[in-house]
Amino acid sequence: MSEPLDLPLREQAAAIAAGQIEAGELLEAALARIEARNPAINAVVETFPERSREMAAVAPPGPLHGVPVVIKDEWPLPWRAQRFGAADMLAKTAPGESGPYRALRDAGAVIVGVGNMHELGASSTGNVSVYGPARNPWNLERCPGGSSSGPAAAVAARLVAGAVGADGVGSIRYPATYCGLTGLKPTFGRSAMDGHHMAGVSTTIVSGPLCADAGDCRLLGSVLYGKELRAGDAGALRIGVIEDEVSADVAPAVGEACEAAIEELQRATGGEVRTIELPELPAATLATVLIANSESLGGVTPERLNSLDPELSPLGRGLLKYRLMLPAVATVKAHQVRTMARQRLAEVFEEVDVIAWPTVPAVAPPLEAPLVELPSGTLTADAANVRSGALANLTGIPAISVPVGSSEGLPIGLQLQAAWGRDELLLDAAEALERANGRRWVDAVPPLAAAEQTEA
Amino acid sequence: MEASQSADDFIPAALAAFGVEADEIELAVMRAAQEMFWPPILELLALDTSGVAPEPAPDLSQAPPRR
Repeated sequence: MSEPLDLPLREQAAAIAAGQIEAGELLEAALARIEARNPAINAVVETFPERSREMAAVAPPGPLHGVPVVIKDEWPLPWRAQRFGAADMLAKTAPGESGPYRALRDAGAVIVGVGNMHELGASSTGNVSVYGPARNPWNLERCPGGSSSGPAAAVAARLVAGAVGADGVGSIRYPATYCGLTGLKPTFGRSAMDGHHMAGVSTTIVSGPLCADAGDCRLLGSVLYGKELRAGDAGALRIGVIEDEVSADVAPAVGEACEAAIEELQRATGGEVRTIELPELPAATLATVLIANSESLGGVTPERLNSLDPELSPLGRGLLKYRLMLPAVATVKAHQVRTMARQRLAEVFEEVDVIAWPTVPAVAPPLEAPLVELPSGTLTADAANVRSGALANLTGIPAISVPVGSSEGLPIGLQLQAAWGRDELLLDAAEALERANGRRWVDAVPPLAAAEQTEA
Repeated sequence: MEASQSADDFIPAALAAFGVEADEIELAVMRAAQEMFWPPILELLALDTSGVAPEPAPDLSQAPPRR
């Protein structure tokens, strides 16, 4: 790749710091590429060239000085309130300086656009949005994943090399997998979150980076954490795997790719694979959904629900109203399940360093009908995906999705989860895996981007 | 009673109790949600959690305190 925009985030930053590229030049290249490629994928829903040029002009020295990035439509910017991918949302919003915005600005980054997202953050697919669905750069008829659909599609299409997403129930990891990226869900509370309409209320949502590889996630993650995520040695990694019905209920190609990647990781680190048990997992999945949904009800009144914008999708309207009917006793039980799961995980992480399983059980489903075929039968992608995504949000632990294979021309992702605060270990492990497989999957480029490179 | 039957009774009654209106499409969405969520909710309610020691104000950025 010779175009500066095709360089990894860290190399873009290094090239600007070395005076090899001008920040303004890189910004204009990003804006031009968005204009050229975005109509096919609808990843970026708004650009603001003059604001971006102002950011570039006054960008302070910092780890991302002059580097263009995209931020999800989930945080306010000083010139724009978030819309949460929806025509209507229960919370009141206004333009302002969110935590991720300040972190990016202070690191010298240039926000070049706002990334699309699934309406109200309510799905793992990204196929419903007030802006229209984002599309997967690997196959335009497939889901890009959600809810951070736009940030993922933007990075996969190389509109930018890094984007900020949010993960309340897997919403960074699902699109990272579907789009062939690396996505980090930080330990709860460790990344910038203020200014989010659920900050201080949500106990599941975190901000996090979506990039091509772990090195770029380390750089963008360090900015969002406000501290350097130091590179280290993953050591002789003790990898925990679960052998239960849910773990076995994955598409064969996904299961094979993830098993092979786990073996590669074990060999590369000189570690070992251990079978662990998490009997709380099925209950933990439902508990996460109950807690995440109940936490969004604070501003609800019947009057408000009766005056929802008709442009909100019928699915969104129906699900908002359905949340009223979730029994309080179930939410109390959900918190008890959270306690059980946290205690169990604390024991598990005495025995293993990471837990590994497929990020999602099947590759990206069709946009028009997001269903997946699994050994147990046909499931909605959401019902299937939440089983592997929810545990990290319920318990607060960090998790990362890394690309490890391909099927039907669509990426496959492996999820690694670690104990609280061991976010750096996940990045170290992801980098060990990249080295072991020769960066085959993190350097893969979707047809949308590859075609233009060939033409150039 | 099947979840679908309970949804037919429960959802309109609950909406009426809250004073919330819904059109036919929204009702269909809610019925589908009820069929998906209610059986596992009942399983969750049946879970014996009497032995779970509370973790008061859990700090989700940290491991739980050792017991």
